[in-house]
Amino acid sequence: MDYLYDLNTFLPATIMAAAGLVAILMAAYKARIGNIFNFTIVALVMALAVSIRDLFGPDGTAFFDMIAYGGTAAFGAFLVTLGTLFCVVISRDYLEAIDHHYREVYAMILFGSTGMVGLAVSNDLIMLFLGVETMSICLYVLAGLIKGEKIGAESALKYVLLGAFSTGFLLYGIALIYGATGATSYAVVAGAAEATPLFLAGTALLLVGFFFKISAVPFHMWTPDVYQGTPTTLTAYFATASKAASFIALVLVLSRMIPEIEGVELTQLLQVIAILTMIVGNLIALVQDNVKRMLAYSSIAHAGYILVGLAAGTPEGYTGVLYYLFAYTIMNIGAFGVIAYYERNHALDFTDVHNYAGLGYKFPVMGVLLSVFLFSLIGIPPFVGFLGKYYVFAAAVNAGLVTLAVIGVLASAASVFYYLRVMVYLYFREPHKEYQLVRPGALFKYSLILLGILTLWYGIEPIFPTDSLIELISTYY
Amino acid sequence: MAEAEVNSYLVLGISLFMLLNSAALTVYAERRIASFIQNRVGPNRVGPFGLFQPLADVVKLLLKEDVTPIHSYRFIHTIAPIIPVVTALMTIAVIPFGEGIYVTDINAGVLYLLAVASLGVYGVTLAGWASNSKYSLLGGLRAAAQMVSYELPLGMALASVVLFVGSLSVVDVAASQEYWWYLFLNPLGAIIFIIAAFAESNRTPFDLVEAEQELVGGFHTEYSSMKFGMFFLAEYMHVVINSMLITTFFFGSYHLPFAGYWLPEMSPLAKAILDVLVFTAKTIFFIFVFIWVRWTIPRFKYNQVMNLGWSKLLPLSILNFFVIAAILFALNAA
Amino acid sequence: MLENYIPIIVLFGIAIVLAIILMSLSRLLGPYRPNKNKLNPYESGMDPVGQAKERYSIGFYLVAMEFIVFDLEVIFLYPWAVGFLDLGLEAFFAMTIFIVILFIGLWYTLKIGTLDFSMKPTLANR
Repeated sequence: MDYLYDLNTFLPATIMAAAGLVAILMAAYKARIGNIFNFTIVALVMALAVSIRDLFGPDGTAFFDMIAYGGTAAFGAFLVTLGTLFCVVISRDYLEAIDHHYREVYAMILFGSTGMVGLAVSNDLIMLFLGVETMSICLYVLAGLIKGEKIGAESALKYVLLGAFSTGFLLYGIALIYGATGATSYAVVAGAAEATPLFLAGTALLLVGFFFKISAVPFHMWTPDVYQGTPTTLTAYFATASKAASFIALVLVLSRMIPEIEGVELTQLLQVIAILTMIVGNLIALVQDNVKRMLAYSSIAHAGYILVGLAAGTPEGYTGVLYYLFAYTIMNIGAFGVIAYYERNHALDFTDVHNYAGLGYKFPVMGVLLSVFLFSLIGIPPFVGFLGKYYVFAAAVNAGLVTLAVIGVLASAASVFYYLRVMVYLYFREPHKEYQLVRPGALFKYSLILLGILTLWYGIEPIFPTDSLIELISTYY
Repeated sequence: MAEAEVNSYLVLGISLFMLLNSAALTVYAERRIASFIQNRVGPNRVGPFGLFQPLADVVKLLLKEDVTPIHSYRFIHTIAPIIPVVTALMTIAVIPFGEGIYVTDINAGVLYLLAVASLGVYGVTLAGWASNSKYSLLGGLRAAAQMVSYELPLGMALASVVLFVGSLSVVDVAASQEYWWYLFLNPLGAIIFIIAAFAESNRTPFDLVEAEQELVGGFHTEYSSMKFGMFFLAEYMHVVINSMLITTFFFGSYHLPFAGYWLPEMSPLAKAILDVLVFTAKTIFFIFVFIWVRWTIPRFKYNQVMNLGWSKLLPLSILNFFVIAAILFALNAA
Repeated sequence: MLENYIPIIVLFGIAIVLAIILMSLSRLLGPYRPNKNKLNPYESGMDPVGQAKERYSIGFYLVAMEFIVFDLEVIFLYPWAVGFLDLGLEAFFAMTIFIVILFIGLWYTLKIGTLDFSMKPTLANR
């Protein structure tokens, strides 16, 4: 094992971990929060650059086959660092506005992202668990950031209790798989796996742990409460980066660890969960008045769409999943970001949709951006959300799961209602009264504009005859 | 030289007997040395020079009434005093008293010692909690927190000794000090270990958990008769045990200073007698140091105790460990 | 190799028997005349005020949590300490990173004063 070469493959996580250690010491010595923020941004930009370099690099495993590099794993690291960078950029002004701008937030985010990258690149069950735990504990802390208010305490407590419980399931599944096959490395497990009850039970428990993390039904109960109680830009961090990391890990597990076993219909299980998730997520979102909760349920529904691609199980399906994750990261951070932009200073209950009346005219740029992101979430061309859904459903149809794709399309159609409802309030209702909103700075605004441009750009990318993202991803399979 | 082949159970019996006797003698020694330091006469009535005083104390305690407070948790209240006594007695199983003279040589002796020391915290905590009285509860918690905090530097100091030995067996630790004592090779570790040993056995200056002026009796307020006697006995046994540990790990165990260089060949019997005498002398010296410190230094406040343990001893012990590891590694690679 | 542990079990048995004998001796030999005043919890001669299970400082929980973390660090350091000379430079480097990460955690904890048992509240005036 060439130590330096292996370290080079794990570089995004290493950079973020080292930056996190420095950031926590800066917080202990009460440095100015602006300095900690700048330092975090620099570290994240470096990590992002390294992860983009890895996207085009070679494939393989490192550290005694504990982590994978290149291909899907590199894409996972890229998604995590991209999501983290955008979330940190929009967090500063928002947290400043709601008066909960603690110094340790940036260190927690950096450590959490280290865990997420570790999760996304894991090639071994032990590394998987390590990544899940590192990520989760930092997220538990961030969920309870609004100290002293009931909503923050509720969110943190629910996340901790349910998360710890589901991590217990995950660990028990890992133990059973180890007992059944005598190994924890994906390749070795795949070679030694048989359809014994022990192995199947272990796999089932492992998948339960995963389904909690990606908030699939029926393990989704924590999502609305946790997302609502967390500061909105950090909700964006939860909803995109941690979900992306968990999905990438799930892709790696499904494609590398669980082989084709006689008599095991994993696709059926995934289909059922996907159908349940899409239907439940969309149904409950229909009746939500609170925009943050609505977006939380919408993220559950999007997890359902991604599960359609996973249920397909073909290389085309995995390609669709990866592309959808990229699309989802961009548009979701954008949507949550605009919600955060609208939140009033100290009034965390601004997220009721009735308060959005007439805001489209008062803040035109933000109104347009929110419309862009909402259209993308619905899946309307020419935005990237449409392409994501197209690839995923096309893969499902090509794998023979036509019913699944039909249900997906119908669910997307149902989702039009609650997304467009926000836009109706933005543009077609009379404003209540004079709003005194704290205006976040230029960085916030321009990063959201950048996200909007990216949403549009990647939506219309296929018409250009250049190397597109989807072609890059399909080379991984 | 040829090692003495001694039956483990013989060593076990003799060392158990000696330990119990030395605990009693330490009680007596404490009172005499305290009186000497305080310029008065200690107990000198019962028997020649008052040597039977501990016996009289034991008899007195046995004949007193065993009061269990009415709201306490009976079962735990009863078994709590057993724990410190048992954990103190169990440590002699791995300590070598001479070359080849030990009860047993398990290959994880250092870990065993650490584990047994950690179990001792249970006795204090359960005693404080089972008495169902405010003084006892607070005293028990503070004692538990203090003991637990000082286990960390204790463990790290022992780990820094293990770096030199390359094995976790206590017999190996003792045997490897034939030429150089670890006091000279690892002085900071020795200091940290001695301070942590004082804190682990709740001796002054760390004895605020049983300070009569503050918390009445701390966690053993509600104990009377032999149950109190057992806490009392356990504390003095811990003094003896900790003295033995200090000599074993840092002061050459049964070796004379730099013995490997100048000690001539002896018969196994003569060597065994010499070893045991040297070990006993060193242990007695450290018991004297324990008692001496108690009657010389005033006791710490609780926040000072915790501050010392966490802010000073723990970082220092980690750095000590790391620097020694780096130096040894560099010397080995060269 | 496991037969080395038998004397330990024997010693454990002897120790427990000894302790139980001592305790039952006191029960047998001492008088037993309970009355209400003797059985009350001792509070310097006054009647007990309030429940015994009152709330105590949260600092004790923090001490316990910190103890778990650093005790596990000590435990992980023991196997490495036994074999570090044979494990090579990579293992040394890895353990250095491990110790550094935990040391920085300890540094942060100490700097913001979580384990400060003195009476003044620290988190209120951050």
